[in-house]
Amino acid sequence: MYINTTSFKTVYYLNNNYMKNHIELCINGETHHAYGEDAFLPLSDYLRTKLHLVGTKEVCIEGDCGACTTLLGRLKNEKFYYETIDSCISYVYQLNNCHVVTVEGIKNSKLNSVQESMITSHGAQCGYCTPGIVVSLYSFFNSCSKKTCTKSDIQDALTGNLCRCTGYETIVEAGLTLDNNSIEKLSDIYSEDKLLAILGKETKENIEINTNDYVFYQPVTLKEALKLKNENPDTKILAGGTDLHVMCNKRDFSLKKILYVSNLKELKSIEVKDNHITIGAAVTLSEFEQSVSEYYTDLKEFLNLFASPQIKNIGTLVGNIANASPIGDTLPFLLVMDSELELESVNGKRKVNMNNFYKGYKSLAMESNEIITHVNIPLLKKDEILKLYKVSKRKHLDISSFSAAIRMKEKNGIIESFIIAFGGVGPTVQRIYEIESYLTGKRLCEDILNEAAQMIENIIKPISDVRGHKEYRLQLAKNILKKFYFELLESDKKKVLA
Amino acid sequence: MVTEEKIGNNIPLDGAEGHVTGTSEYVSDISKIENELIVDFFYSTEPHGEIINIDLEEARKISGIVGLYTYKDIEGENKFGPIIKDEVLLAESILEYVGQPIVIIAGESKKAIKLAKKTIKIEIKKLPHILSIEEAIEKNQFIGETRVIERGDIEKEFQKAEYILEGNTRNGGQEHFYLESQAAIAYPQENNTLEIISSTQNPTEVQNVIAEILGIPFNKIVVKTRRMGGAFGGKETQATHPAAMAALVAMKTKRPARIVLSCDDDMITTGKRHEFYNKYKVAFTKEGLITALKVEFFSNGGYSNDLSTSIRERAMFHAENAYFIPNIKTIGKVCKTNLPSNTAFRGFGGPQGMLNIESIIEDIAIFLKIDAFDIRRLNCFGIEKNNTTSYEQEVSNNTLPELMDKLLKTSNYKERHKQIEEYNKNSTLYLKGISFTLVMFGISFTARFMNQASALVNIYTDGSIQVSTGGTEMGQGLNTKISQIVADEFCVEPKTVRMMITSTEKNNNTSPSAASASTDLNGTAAKDACQKIKTRLIEFASNYLVKDNSEHKPSINAIEWTYDGIYDKRISNKKITFKELVKNAYLNRISLGERGFYATPQITLFDWNTGRGKPFLYFTNGAAVSEVRIDRFTGELKVLRTDILMDIGKSINPGIDKGQIIGGFIQGMGWLTTEELKYSEKGELLSHSPTTYKIPNIQDIPEVLNVDWIENGKNVVNIRQSKAVGEPPLMTSISVWTAVKHALSFISNGEIPKLDAPATSEEILKAMSRFPISMKV
Ligand SMILES: Cc1cc2nc3c(=O)[nH]c(=O)nc-3n(C[C@H](O)[C@H](O)[C@H](O)COP(=O)(O)OP(=O)(O)OC[C@H]3O[C@@H](n4cnc5c(N)ncnc54)[C@H](O)[C@@H]3O)c2cc1C
Ligand code: FES
Ligand code: FES
Repeated sequence: MYINTTSFKTVYYLNNNYMKNHIELCINGETHHAYGEDAFLPLSDYLRTKLHLVGTKEVCIEGDCGACTTLLGRLKNEKFYYETIDSCISYVYQLNNCHVVTVEGIKNSKLNSVQESMITSHGAQCGYCTPGIVVSLYSFFNSCSKKTCTKSDIQDALTGNLCRCTGYETIVEAGLTLDNNSIEKLSDIYSEDKLLAILGKETKENIEINTNDYVFYQPVTLKEALKLKNENPDTKILAGGTDLHVMCNKRDFSLKKILYVSNLKELKSIEVKDNHITIGAAVTLSEFEQSVSEYYTDLKEFLNLFASPQIKNIGTLVGNIANASPIGDTLPFLLVMDSELELESVNGKRKVNMNNFYKGYKSLAMESNEIITHVNIPLLKKDEILKLYKVSKRKHLDISSFSAAIRMKEKNGIIESFIIAFGGVGPTVQRIYEIESYLTGKRLCEDILNEAAQMIENIIKPISDVRGHKEYRLQLAKNILKKFYFELLESDKKKVLA
Repeated sequence: MVTEEKIGNNIPLDGAEGHVTGTSEYVSDISKIENELIVDFFYSTEPHGEIINIDLEEARKISGIVGLYTYKDIEGENKFGPIIKDEVLLAESILEYVGQPIVIIAGESKKAIKLAKKTIKIEIKKLPHILSIEEAIEKNQFIGETRVIERGDIEKEFQKAEYILEGNTRNGGQEHFYLESQAAIAYPQENNTLEIISSTQNPTEVQNVIAEILGIPFNKIVVKTRRMGGAFGGKETQATHPAAMAALVAMKTKRPARIVLSCDDDMITTGKRHEFYNKYKVAFTKEGLITALKVEFFSNGGYSNDLSTSIRERAMFHAENAYFIPNIKTIGKVCKTNLPSNTAFRGFGGPQGMLNIESIIEDIAIFLKIDAFDIRRLNCFGIEKNNTTSYEQEVSNNTLPELMDKLLKTSNYKERHKQIEEYNKNSTLYLKGISFTLVMFGISFTARFMNQASALVNIYTDGSIQVSTGGTEMGQGLNTKISQIVADEFCVEPKTVRMMITSTEKNNNTSPSAASASTDLNGTAAKDACQKIKTRLIEFASNYLVKDNSEHKPSINAIEWTYDGIYDKRISNKKITFKELVKNAYLNRISLGERGFYATPQITLFDWNTGRGKPFLYFTNGAAVSEVRIDRFTGELKVLRTDILMDIGKSINPGIDKGQIIGGFIQGMGWLTTEELKYSEKGELLSHSPTTYKIPNIQDIPEVLNVDWIENGKNVVNIRQSKAVGEPPLMTSISVWTAVKHALSFISNGEIPKLDAPATSEEILKAMSRFPISMKV
């Protein structure tokens, strides 16, 4: 059923006493109201063209360079937590009740010590990446309690910021020489009380913003969201927007009707139960990484390779699932773990095993009125081994050329169960059932894995693209089984030595 | 006379405070003027074809579209080019590459322009196209003449040689990936004149090309460049095109016009570092002494020359890199293909030339089963003998042996080499490799006339100073170094020196900031201006300081000029400050402004008939050791440790120079590892944004990176005994690539592993899979 927005609007009004038609946010402590088309701008564009805050640069406008990095302050339990985002792929409509801090806003009258350190360490050359670098580095210290930091802390904080001039070493030095105690925190620069007074009101208001071309909905409850989705099945669900906004910026694609779900309370939970973990659809990848990765071997390192802090701070796990890319990095892991999705519509809830969720290239076993609310991931059993692989041209902040997950149970040298999934070798991420059944019950040894590797040639049909030739992908798929085997041997060797 | 030098101090980069606060202004940050237009262009989606018809009907009707211009609207000359006039601003009847501009679009909004692009229809008759060097060779498609440099008798040497290897090497191109894309604004001014703000390394060329395209004298155009958000050679010639488009629109509409290329369009439509394919034949003894070398260089020039012929020449000048080769013949050809015209990129052909010889040496080492270091040490240019290049320029003040011996020790190369052999015997998961390479990079523009510069120094009556040169700032620290030079001349603090926006009205007929030589040239010109002013001031001071003193006659030789003040040494209790001096000089009608000039001495015009000349004033040298680890199953590469030792003479600013060394190394490492240009069969660039084109990330830097330089006070031919540092360090990264080759040699059973650059994981895995994995567990 298609309801045009004008008639729909009336219905909506009847059900709600109050509805807001704009986005209210603070930028560097000042209140701004974004109405109409302004709400549909990328934040970087809004900052640069509407406010002439041109310290925030636009380079790639697809989240890959970090020149547009800004801080996003979100309210959690009466306190603002600041994290970096790429303002080129965060749109103003996502930012209701947020406090955005740009490079112009991270200092009082004099330079902060991060800025000073960047100057004395020669961390800036041409200067174009510098505002973004400074914001990311500042963000690290702003939200960390450590007095000093290590090289890898800085590397992890700056994975999302490219610099073509410096070779990064001087930037690392700038970070290493800093004493966190000397750094003025955002809570010193901006009065929390003042911000709370503006942005802290419990949002009971649904937001609907209309322009000639677009409409944006931000409902307060899941129930309302489901209703909206039911009445407007052509509405696109939006979470972090790290997939969708890249398409808006780079391809001939526009989001005409948007249903924003990332602020729905019902979807924000992370629960660890006896035998599984439940992640809500509004949980960001950063939250997921911080709270869940310890439960699965390899997952922490694996997620360290996923995108960048800027992307993970706003992008969601469920977004990665629903985006259904054949190279979605969390998918092989979720498939081998036999994860389950909770889908909900006005008609009720249902559960789908993720192994039955992908029907073809970007085609999902999901109805147009449904929303994914949660994903349940079974916990790894004590006697199981989990290995996750990502191969990409560049190790960090790159899309996989090939990915794999292997979950195995072995006893006395015999493979009791073997579950394997590949990404990047077909139209969807896929389990390789032939290999699984071949290996189950076999002896765990080099020859057997070599034989399995040989079988792969007849099972998968990868394609050639900008991230690699098909021969390369095929070779990787075969080699990964061997790598898995030799890694086990190495770790056994280490165990023996220990 | 100087007591406290400002040279050699690690003062912060000029503009750094603006950079870290986000207040440094780049072209796209400049506030918009009310009636300003947005400029963009419609480009070819075919690699080669004939334009049958251009239909702009629909586009003209779109509200917000103010102008659509084709080559027919160009009143001056559509043809230009820095060496050969073979480029067009807008395609005429033939399209020669995907990305070639056909129609300039001027509009009120981005939306209108986007719409206009959708409605423009070009009817094209397709023609066969060439993308690869091999095809161009086969079809005999070359740009310019073939160049040859020859010494000795290679044929004779090949006949009596102990060993001969023949093969080829190949390197891919490289996108500059400056973060600030090409951008310019044109402001129309009275009497049909224009002021242009351009992100260019080469304001004069922008000025000249615009004037020619508009058909007006050069003096009607002023081009200004505050700074660039990175350039790396990509804005040496190719900043002209967008600037000319904005200029054309501004002239036609009499409205300010701004063009800022999107990152993707910039990558798709502009040139890159040249891909090279080289055939070689090398003769050597069983000790690894190279006795003869023949190299044929083929570069992929793209559709027009741009700087390709010069770049090819520099590849030839560096074909032997740091090694003395008695019998040598290098041949260089530029292939014409249907790609955007390839252009300058840090190193300017040097990296390609050096990669070839370093690869050959690595191969000889594998072949002879000798440590490649020993071969390099054996062949390295000597100090007393074996110290002339193939074109017979003497390698004077040769620091290469010193660099080799020092770095050998500090990097602990030999020990680590052994450890790696052991490691590889026992490792099932990874292979390691280590390699030690050299860099000897000639400094000066190889086109002799370009080695000139001017500078304008103005002192104000409060003692503050403004300096304008033809040099442009792109983060390399040129302005900082010049401010240090000027400050030191007058014995004042560098912060009293303000570096002005580069402008063609202050400095005319400038050379691009390129060839690593902008401090050498502009710094020396600035010094010249300072000295001229100083001469006047000293003369004035000699009178002024004795004016109430009947005991002494004025004497310029008695004047001491120090950081503490200026005085007559016979009356040392009477000191005046610089500020007092200039104030009083002004009151006495002494000029406080001067223009300085510099033309590099000693270098000669290169004679291509004989292949002889002295193209370089001196050489900047370097040595590097890199250790890498590759994953035996995925081909993934990790650089574990790099040690770099340079000879950069006496550093003017160590902080800046260190930044140049590391930045150059990492950029070169990107070229040789993860940066891969992928094209469709039609020649469309597929990797046209950072999503698919992977420059090094902060996680890719070596786990350990040691950078140092030797004390060298012998380079007296250059300003403050410094040496150019912009490009040479890039080539230290070759050690990473050769280290991969070394790692591969452990599984190749004595065969020479075939590896192209870049050594992506895919390339490495391909190289490994040529050899069966035999693992001993
Ligand atoms: C620079 C960059 C780097 C990246 N790196 C990686 C990487 O390393 N690995 C990787 O796998 N991905 C990567 N991505 C892709 C992207 O970040 C992830 O896929 C992310 O998880 C998407 O989440 P999101 O919340 O931003 O999704 P959105 O863009 O908001 O949505 C993505 C899709 O999911 C749908 N959707 C979202 N929520 C729901 C819901 N609750 N119910 C139903 N449908 C829903 C949307 O309609 C849309 O189709 C990268 C992206 C960028 C820009
Ligand atoms: S502009 Fe590159 S990440 Fe935003
Ligand atoms: S300083 Fe130029 S890109 Fe980082």
